Amino acid sequence: MPPKAKKGAPAQKSKTSEDEREEPLQAVVFADAFETTFVPFTLERPRCLLPLANTPLIEYTFDFLASAGVEEVFLYSGNHTDQVEEYFKKSKWTRPTAPFSLEIIRSNARSVGDAMRDLDQKQLITGDFICVYGDVVANLPMETAIAAHRSRREKDKKSIMTMVLREAGEAHRTKSQNLCPCFVIDPVTERCVHYEQVRPRQTPRLDIAEEVLKDHVEVEVREDLVDCGIDICTPEVLAQYTDNFDWQAPRRGFLYGVLKDFETMQLSVHTHVTSEGYAARVKNLQAFDAVSRDVVARWAYPLCPDVNMVADQTFQLGKGCVYKEDGVVLARSSVLGRKSVLGKATSVGEGSVIQESVVGRRCVIGKRVRLDGAYIWDDARIGDDTIVERAIVANEAAVGKGCHVHPGALISYGVRVADGTVVNGSSRITKAKRRRSSGAAQAGKATTDPKIVGEGGEGYELAVDDDEDEKLESLAPGDIYNMSNAALSDDSISTLDSDDEHESLDEDSKRRSSRSESFASINSDESGDTRRRAADFHHEATASIVDALQKNEDVNNIQLELQALKLSSNAEDKQVRRTVAVGLMKRIAGLVESGTSPKDAVSKTLSPNKLLIQRSVSTNKEEFSEQVEFLLYMQTDLVHRQQGDKILLFVCNVLAHDDLIEAEGFEQWWEDPRSSATEELAEVRKETKQLVDVLVASDDDDDEDEDEDDESD
Amino acid sequence: MPAATVGQTPSLSTFVKSLKTNSIESSIELLASLLKRRQIKNSRQCALATAQLLLRVVAAERIKDPQKLIDRIRDVGRRLVAAQPREMAVGNIVRRILGVVREVIESQAGDDGSGSSAPSTPTSPAHRQSKRPMISHSFSSFTPLSHSAAMPYDMHPRPGTPMDSSASTVDGMADLAAPRRPGLASSASYASTAPQNASLLSFLEHPLGRSPAGTPPSRNSPRMTPVQSSTELNKEKIDIKAEVIDGIKELLDELEVVDTQIAESALDHIHSNETILTTTSSQTVQKFLSTAARKRKFTVIHAEAYPNDHEITHATILNGGKKSSGEDEEADERWKPLTALGITVILIPDTAVFALMSRINKVILAPHTVLANGSLLAAAGASTIALAAQAHHVPVVVLSGVYKLSPVYPFDTQELIEYGDPGKVVPFEEGDFMSKIDVQNPLYDFVDAELVSLYVTNLGGCAPSFLYRIVADHYRVEDTDLSAKTG
Repeated sequence: MPPKAKKGAPAQKSKTSEDEREEPLQAVVFADAFETTFVPFTLERPRCLLPLANTPLIEYTFDFLASAGVEEVFLYSGNHTDQVEEYFKKSKWTRPTAPFSLEIIRSNARSVGDAMRDLDQKQLITGDFICVYGDVVANLPMETAIAAHRSRREKDKKSIMTMVLREAGEAHRTKSQNLCPCFVIDPVTERCVHYEQVRPRQTPRLDIAEEVLKDHVEVEVREDLVDCGIDICTPEVLAQYTDNFDWQAPRRGFLYGVLKDFETMQLSVHTHVTSEGYAARVKNLQAFDAVSRDVVARWAYPLCPDVNMVADQTFQLGKGCVYKEDGVVLARSSVLGRKSVLGKATSVGEGSVIQESVVGRRCVIGKRVRLDGAYIWDDARIGDDTIVERAIVANEAAVGKGCHVHPGALISYGVRVADGTVVNGSSRITKAKRRRSSGAAQAGKATTDPKIVGEGGEGYELAVDDDEDEKLESLAPGDIYNMSNAALSDDSISTLDSDDEHESLDEDSKRRSSRSESFASINSDESGDTRRRAADFHHEATASIVDALQKNEDVNNIQLELQALKLSSNAEDKQVRRTVAVGLMKRIAGLVESGTSPKDAVSKTLSPNKLLIQRSVSTNKEEFSEQVEFLLYMQTDLVHRQQGDKILLFVCNVLAHDDLIEAEGFEQWWEDPRSSATEELAEVRKETKQLVDVLVASDDDDDEDEDEDDESD
Repeated sequence: MPAATVGQTPSLSTFVKSLKTNSIESSIELLASLLKRRQIKNSRQCALATAQLLLRVVAAERIKDPQKLIDRIRDVGRRLVAAQPREMAVGNIVRRILGVVREVIESQAGDDGSGSSAPSTPTSPAHRQSKRPMISHSFSSFTPLSHSAAMPYDMHPRPGTPMDSSASTVDGMADLAAPRRPGLASSASYASTAPQNASLLSFLEHPLGRSPAGTPPSRNSPRMTPVQSSTELNKEKIDIKAEVIDGIKELLDELEVVDTQIAESALDHIHSNETILTTTSSQTVQKFLSTAARKRKFTVIHAEAYPNDHEITHATILNGGKKSSGEDEEADERWKPLTALGITVILIPDTAVFALMSRINKVILAPHTVLANGSLLAAAGASTIALAAQAHHVPVVVLSGVYKLSPVYPFDTQELIEYGDPGKVVPFEEGDFMSKIDVQNPLYDFVDAELVSLYVTNLGGCAPSFLYRIVADHYRVEDTDLSAKTG
């Protein structure tokens, strides 16, 4: 890139440079990271609107894009799109004076990959674009990175993506403590030749392909980089996503895939490692805490609260990194320690001590309260004599008098904690019911649990990790231990259908634990490689089945393809069974979502494709374990689907009718403890009870020598 | 080449370019966000950007009522100042332009009021003697310290007629506007920002009848010229706009030549074989020194201003006055480094300042902002230098364009100082360190007026205690408080 281009041309002669303008720089923002790390807050609010130091996360991201000179932004919003739209309607970004044009795209994409494919279809992207998550806080100078990307691309069309990475030390608070990305980079060309996620001090070795070491004289293995998901992509990236429909995540899916296929496709991904500026992703609660502290301590300068990014903010910086908005009322005897942020019209009572805390607007902090590292969002109330340590109290929540909120606790919107309650560090208290549970799409109010919030409180404890893929990295460092315990003990079959939504940090860890312990473990082999291969097989095969079903392909072809995949990845029968079950359910659920009634959807999908089930599930009279397994896989998958219970009923009906699964199979499945291991599983199969009863009864009629205790349920 | 323009990081040059194509509102938003993001920083760039923007604003405005123009400029100014209150050059330029508008309005009103379109030059000299002189005209004769005869021609769009006529009519207007005076004074509400200074000013001005200047002619004219024809009125309004634009252009010219004007007095201050201490890579200082270097030989000791400015300081010493980005229009004029002119330049760390101070004859500083009481804000490290200089009785000379001079009184010096990225002190990579230790990186230092011996402005030199006079000449009291938060 000739530096002359910028420095040499006098500004006054702008007419010449206007002609040089090509297509505008575009950016794609994923407002939803397709993760559940911010549950319970994300049950009610989109993640990108969560306040970081009293400013919604998306403001930081947009400010970063504006400072990079982006002119068109496409915002992919996953859940809570209405709230996102509502927010932007009022914000400065949709006014005619905004630095870029913003388009909010509603989509039902369930991963970054889906969104990318959708984008490719819509043909909105004309040139190179920046791809970021809606939770990036960064002030990196992008100009050099973009220039380097373009010059590389001019030389080599196969160079399709540049990842912008920030150098950080070995242990850094913005980095994940559990799982780190490890980049193997050729220092001469800056090409990324290998990528893996490792756990510090635990992963014994990297799995670098032989060719990589042969081809490159010199490689750097770097674990010290913060990967904040800022990628400069060419339109070719979208095409790649479309070609490889099973890629979901930009790192574990896309990057891994591109690197794997380097030999055949010759596509290369480069890195731009910068040691200047700030970059971090607020991808989990631990990062939320770290980035909040960075922003308040001005490490992200100029992105500090006193920049007043949102129009009506009036933060002013005082001594010791204390930011106050107008109209803050501090009692004379209250102590406002360093690194604190107080929003507009917040009042603090006599004798209260606040330090390293962020308090939102219109909060009422009582007397003799101690806030130490707390995050109190707008309109919250903290009663007298209460202690809140490193915890989050969300909007409009109220904590009573004399409470003690331990580090790591999350108190969600509108929860009321009664006087004198002790909230321990692992609790996640909310009023909203998880939406996906029991197939009901409506968020309803759950019953209050007085054990958690005390008498007269409102809210209940959200069960830790029942279906998300990643456990929370809690706010408090000491608490991670607790949390991982919770995740480890959670080895129920529910993880069977880990949707692999995202490259989340802990997905791998969870899998490691749950796979090996739960009956559903695909592969008891502990080595990461085989496990990954198994996951790959699952992905690829499921996707191919769903795809084929969508295209109404002949069942023989599907079977053939499945067989080929099975052989090529050396998969076990068990995996094939799981794949078939998940694939079919996915297709049925897809049809149901598009409006078909469950009954029609089931008959439409299953009847032409009986062969698949026949081949994967033996109908051997003596051996029902395969049938049981198949049913379990289906049941688990349907837990997350809309009208899962209905689907399960109809599917079972069809299966029984066509004698694909024997009555004994159903019976054993019903009795199997794993099929009712969690509440949700039990919920899903409730509808099927009658059918099973009937089946078993009729079976009993046939052969009298069968067990008789089938009515015990 | 085309690739460079796409996705270019916004800066002053891109802003000036975009001014031509964007709408006014989005330009204002853009400048505000650039200021917020510090993509335009330093007094000079801020001043240029503000003046360019206001030029557009005035040009686009259809002036029906001059008061509306003033309100509009104030409103824009308030938004810009709120975006980055610590870049006081923004507020200064807004106030200067407001001053220009008021002056033009007064001169018009004055013309009408006296009933004669011809300038009343004959009366003016005697008239002027009798009352407080218009300092901006005869400033140099008033300052005992002045070395240069640089006339502030740029202050008045028409140095000749409008000024004089307004001076001559001021008496007449003062009577009319007398009841209004207390209201004006209170509406300015400078108590929060500039108590001492403002009260002094109002004390000085009230008996002399300058405060009616704020009275808009639109209210006066019906009373004063009830018979004026409408055509004349229209013509007059067009004139106001043209003259204000002329005034802003002259302000821009001033910003262009300010360094040269300051450098004109270099030979009065720098003598042969002196040892000069300076810090940061200020263009003004470099120009000043290189002007002196053409005639005289001296030694420069340069403190590096770590950690915020050391890189650019090093570059300046090695390669000469590398124009900071965004001032491309002057790119043809690339300065030679001082060393190329035969000057010995010694780079020292900031900590060595005190040790070397005993050998130094003069300290030259470039401020970020000069405050009304003669104290200043300058790049961090300036305070150390000024204190060391005081200990050794070394004169401290501050080179400052008038545009850096702010009517703000340092009410709370802490609030004026901006804190930057601690990553420049402790690298971000030091994860362990940064999570356990609070690091602060102030960008500016506050230097008290007592520590400064002399200010050299583009109007010549003056003592710190005299700055209030220059403030009084350049800013109207009514404009001192642009918004509630000027500091």
